[in-house]
Amino acid sequence: MFPQFGATAESLSKASTAVFRIGTDAHLYDDPDDVNIAPLLDSKFDSEKCEALKRLLALISQGFDVANFFPQVVKNVASQSLEVKKLVYLYLLHYAEKRPNEALLSINYFQKDLGDTNPLVRAWALRAMAGIRLHAIAPLVLVAVGKCARDPSVYVRKCAANALPKLHDLRMEEHASAIEEIIGLLLNDHSPGVVGAAASAFTTVCPNNFSLIGRNFRKLCEVLPDVEEWGQIMLIGILLRYVIARHGLVKESIMFSLYNKDHSNLDEDEHYVTSKEDAGYATEKTVSELTRTIFQCYIEGPDEYLSRSSSTIKVAPKLDESQYTSCSNEIVKILLQCTSPLLWSHNSAVVLAAAGVHWIMAPKEDVKRIVKPLLFVLRSSPASRYVVLCNIQVFAKAMPSLFAPHYEDFFIHSADSYQIKELKLEILSIISSDSSISFILKELQDYIRDPDRRFAADTVAAIGLCAQRLPKMAITCLEELLTLIRQEFLCGEIRSLDGEEGVLIQAIMSIISIIKLEPAIYEKVIIQLVRSLDTIKVPAARAMIVWLLGEYCSLGEIIPRMLSTVLKYLAWCFTSEELETKLQILNTITKVLLCIKGEDSWTLRKIWTYVIELAERDLNYDIRDRSRFLKKLLSSNLESQNVEEENGESQKKDQKRVVAECIFGVQTKTSTVPSEPINDRFYLPGSLSQLVFHAAPGYEPLPKPCSLPNIDQYDGSDKSDLDEVDDSGTSGSSDEENASDYSSERSISGSSEVSGSNETVSGNEGENNDDPLIQISDTSNVNENQNGGDHAGTSGFSDLMSTKSLESWLDEPSKSSKGSETEQSGVRRSSARITIGNIGSRIKPKCYTLLDPANGNGLMVNYSFSSETSSISSHLVCLQVLFENCSLESMFDIVLIDEDSSKSVDSTDQISQAAENTVKSHIDKPALVSMEEIPSLEPGQKAKRTLLVRFHHHLLPLKLALFCNDKKFPVKLRPDIGYFVKPLPINIEAFKDKESHLPGMFEYVRSCTFNDHIVKLNKESNSLTEDTFLVICETLALKMLSNANLSLVSVDLPVASNLGDASGLCLRFSSEILNNSMPCLITATVEGKCSDPLIVSVKVNCEETVFGLNFLNRIVNFLAEPPVTHS
Amino acid sequence: MPPLMAIEFLCRVADVINGYLGGLNEDSIKDNFVIVYELLDEMIDNGFPLTTEPNILQEMIAPPNIVSKVLSVVTGNSSNVSDTLPGSTASCVPWRTADPKYANNEVYVDLVEQMDATINRDGVLVKCEINGEVQVNSHITGLPDLTLSFANPSILDDVRFHPCVRFRPWESNQILSFVPPDGQFKLMNYRVRKLKSTPIYVKPQLTSDGGICRLNVMVGMRNDPGKTVDSVNVQFQLPPCILSADLTSTHGTVNILSNKTCTWSIGRIPKDKAPSMSGTLVLETGLERLHVFPTFQVDFRIMGVALSGLQIDKLDLKTVPYRFYKGFRALTRAGEFEVRS
Repeated sequence: MFPQFGATAESLSKASTAVFRIGTDAHLYDDPDDVNIAPLLDSKFDSEKCEALKRLLALISQGFDVANFFPQVVKNVASQSLEVKKLVYLYLLHYAEKRPNEALLSINYFQKDLGDTNPLVRAWALRAMAGIRLHAIAPLVLVAVGKCARDPSVYVRKCAANALPKLHDLRMEEHASAIEEIIGLLLNDHSPGVVGAAASAFTTVCPNNFSLIGRNFRKLCEVLPDVEEWGQIMLIGILLRYVIARHGLVKESIMFSLYNKDHSNLDEDEHYVTSKEDAGYATEKTVSELTRTIFQCYIEGPDEYLSRSSSTIKVAPKLDESQYTSCSNEIVKILLQCTSPLLWSHNSAVVLAAAGVHWIMAPKEDVKRIVKPLLFVLRSSPASRYVVLCNIQVFAKAMPSLFAPHYEDFFIHSADSYQIKELKLEILSIISSDSSISFILKELQDYIRDPDRRFAADTVAAIGLCAQRLPKMAITCLEELLTLIRQEFLCGEIRSLDGEEGVLIQAIMSIISIIKLEPAIYEKVIIQLVRSLDTIKVPAARAMIVWLLGEYCSLGEIIPRMLSTVLKYLAWCFTSEELETKLQILNTITKVLLCIKGEDSWTLRKIWTYVIELAERDLNYDIRDRSRFLKKLLSSNLESQNVEEENGESQKKDQKRVVAECIFGVQTKTSTVPSEPINDRFYLPGSLSQLVFHAAPGYEPLPKPCSLPNIDQYDGSDKSDLDEVDDSGTSGSSDEENASDYSSERSISGSSEVSGSNETVSGNEGENNDDPLIQISDTSNVNENQNGGDHAGTSGFSDLMSTKSLESWLDEPSKSSKGSETEQSGVRRSSARITIGNIGSRIKPKCYTLLDPANGNGLMVNYSFSSETSSISSHLVCLQVLFENCSLESMFDIVLIDEDSSKSVDSTDQISQAAENTVKSHIDKPALVSMEEIPSLEPGQKAKRTLLVRFHHHLLPLKLALFCNDKKFPVKLRPDIGYFVKPLPINIEAFKDKESHLPGMFEYVRSCTFNDHIVKLNKESNSLTEDTFLVICETLALKMLSNANLSLVSVDLPVASNLGDASGLCLRFSSEILNNSMPCLITATVEGKCSDPLIVSVKVNCEETVFGLNFLNRIVNFLAEPPVTHS
Repeated sequence: MPPLMAIEFLCRVADVINGYLGGLNEDSIKDNFVIVYELLDEMIDNGFPLTTEPNILQEMIAPPNIVSKVLSVVTGNSSNVSDTLPGSTASCVPWRTADPKYANNEVYVDLVEQMDATINRDGVLVKCEINGEVQVNSHITGLPDLTLSFANPSILDDVRFHPCVRFRPWESNQILSFVPPDGQFKLMNYRVRKLKSTPIYVKPQLTSDGGICRLNVMVGMRNDPGKTVDSVNVQFQLPPCILSADLTSTHGTVNILSNKTCTWSIGRIPKDKAPSMSGTLVLETGLERLHVFPTFQVDFRIMGVALSGLQIDKLDLKTVPYRFYKGFRALTRAGEFEVRS
């Protein structure tokens, strides 16, 4: 049945295990559909139902779709057998999202089960109900969760806590406060198990609602050791964030000492332990700067920090003293105290989380207590070993002295994976110190002989790094590397060992990096290397040695003397060299020529000419180009020494010479350790982002220190709550009290803003009203203001937060979207995305005739739909109406009014009143809002009016009456469904996300032919300036935008397509329906040749089926229409 | 969610399934797919671990055993899902089964140690440490409170505890005080660093010339630990540049697999004479000498000795007035024991 498994489960093993399989469910897995499942499901015996469900489960696990059994399975929710229930839940959760309507059938049973006496039944019912994830039942689930959060059973309460993130996923903004209230209740639970689950819910639902934590801080700290390990991980993170937001950073921590000081007084600082202990570190300053970067990254997030540091303003916003607290602060003490025993946890994730807290918050002297636990964690599974090493690497970078005594733990085992070996090598080179370097070097020498040559090459690089860090050891390291190179000669002859080349190249690179430190000392080394040119055959290695010669050609005594010999040798073997070596030889000889002045210069020039001549005839383009360039550049240099030139000429030559010297600049200056800009990104210890070196979704840096003002001194100092909740049975009642406390608090903070007139508005929005950043235009339209809704959860809290953090919090969405965009572009390689500029200005909405001059006594009325949207109500469509008097007499009192209302309404005053009515009610809606009367219209004069119209139906025309000179003209206003939507400016990711939520029955596709571009192409065929693809894109986009009120999301061009084949071109538009703000997404995909009529298949994703279909038809119609000839 | 948490959870899932099915492989999962489904559903909810405590899980979902299998064959009824919520979900010691009853109360404490050692190319012991576990198998009626103390806790370099261990007594007096889970569990892990010697020695010698390499490996007891060293095994990977190998041993068997892994199983080291393996390796054509050298991984087992020297002082039972039987054992295995050549 499964060929891919055939090999493992051979008949032999089957026979031998047959005995063990008796009584298991193996037979159900092997032949799940050998009996008819349907009747079994309807059986009255639980055992038969069970068997049927197991068979279904087997089919699911084998990848079959058995959703068609859904109705029958759902019925069995009512079963009394717990096993049947469990199996049904498994099935239900697997298919509920596919069959939402049928899943609703099960809700009643869940409701019933929630009242069951067996806690297990209650818990499972809640889990399944929340797991179905249907918007329709979300309010029911919320009620159920609220009830279960006060359940006497711990297990049920725990499941209630776990259900909250599921509810949060449904994006029920209006219930956000209720969800947070429940979290607050559960965080205050007396059972540690519940607190752990609540902590996890807190992290997903409202990670910044610190008021919930503040109330229980002390209690949470006390309970931390008893919380389940998984909850501990979450809780540690929450507590850390709270303390930083509330009390700021710790003065005694490494963070403070390096974060808040200038470099200059760093060394004098008596607190600065590292500088005293390890005076040997050459790169002391780099280390401290690195630490600064790391912590800055923790607080600001690396993207923000790096973007600022790369710009010219490099001034970090200094934190003032007030944002720091001392470690003698009670709260900090409690935090450190309650997390330190967790360093002994058997769960490595807990250890790492606790270590992170100590790393950031503990006084410098105490940070070392995290070292041993971290190293011990290295003994757990290989996968976690990698994660821990990644984190240790950062710690070690910031504070090498921490891990320096424990270098043995980073010695490499042959069984380690390559990634782990790489990390260990890097850590070893970071933490090497004067006392340990000899041991480390000895160990590294062993690694060089490892059969894994890639690893050996890395080892050689690590030796180079060690030498750079510890200049005292540089000579020893160099000796080591030189002997290595001499050894490598032996196998240098053999080409087959490609790994050796890597080692050799790496060795020479390491040597060069050591020489750079202090070239003057290492003159002999350079000579030795140059001598070995004869034996080293690897082109890259040769190239590097040749470069070295050119770089230090004027160094010391011996090198200048041997130059001519060496260059002669190089010229002699030039033709047999590889490309890179040849280029390097050219460069070197030129360099030598430029900086050596002496008796040799004549010989040198001859060699140079010879080599240039050889190079000019080389087979390779690059070498020929290089030689010509050098010849031109240096020709003047050579000539000027021979022939006297005129003044003007020579000046030019001089310039050339200067250029040449700049390019091949004689670098006699000793280059110090290159202090590379710190470009590494640092994320919080233990986070996924730290592992992958980019901000993973959901990553948040630490909160701004002291962003939580001291308005409410909770910190759980009022112990009254704690004492109350001792009794396990009656915890519900005391919990209730807390909850009511809480809600009253909220309402106090919010009540001042809630205005009485907004009856339909929920409390959250009321709170938003005072916030000028979020504007709510229409009260009846909650969804329209999605942004506002998103923030509603935290906005009640916004008055507590400083404006700075508020701003950063408002900025966040845009940043995150940017990040995801770049990710996206990495994934989609097959198509290019282009933007069409200034298309907006070229949109010409179509004009319709409302009244013909022939029928209207010379009055011509045209109208076009406008892309504006009404500010009064979202139900109104805007029209531009153009009145023109084509007659010879002037006209008076022109007004357009609704046919029906014209019977009763006479004055315009009442019409304007009606405008207000439209807002209030949907039922008796007058069709027309207001139109300013045109008092008079002279012959030939034109007048423009904006009309706001409410169409009763998006297809049926609206009957209006046009009064002019007291004459009534019945006119019909035809709606254009293209303007029943308004642009929804979103980016491509949001588009795709929305699109994925509207599959299946919400997706409609039709095709049509598109001709517009042909006219345009023909028109512009003689001018080859425009790309045909662009023309197609533009015409298509223009046509869409001129006929419907859309916003262009993206234009995807196929990259791999043939020239002239437009297939694959894809335009995306987005809009939302005016009266209910549902998104309506349009994707137009083009097929066919550029020059022929194209087939455009249009896809509309819209939740409102009827509207969507009509909209699609409209789009297809206007796309197929012949192009409007532009005047 | 931190990545380490996910890794740790997956390890826990593997442990639990291992405990249920007695092995984690494709066949065992296929044969018990219903149990695996039920377990996973109970262990994780919406991406967050729900119940991971093996004791509770075993009460909720019965592990397959002979009795239930036979019963299911006979009666055709095979519910392995418990009808009631395990009581321990509510207790403050969730790892303990609510109220176990035993006729014989007994506690077995095992010290299981792994020796990690690295011997470099010069034959110097670079690193030698012990990673040990205290494994406890307890069968005690009621809710016992045990204390375990060591004679020499100062040698412990670092420790990690099962959640049942109370932190305070350890911090103050280095005493392990805990309410044990029922059955087998890992009470603590410990580490003893910087040991001075290994119980056995392995001395590889490689000399190469003219395209041929001579290999000679000697294995022997260094200082007799008083117990027999058995299951000795030396394994190494031949470097890629070796074409063929011909190895013989004076004791035990030599096995070379197609992926150039060479295993020398010695078994018990004879008292009288140190076993050795020797032979020739043929190098790739054109290669005169060997320039890369294999690392030898050594495996051994010593029963009855904890090489770290850790000694259990006493084990006391509080709160429950029964007499109970105490048993102590020790075992040392090789962990990452490497000899470079």
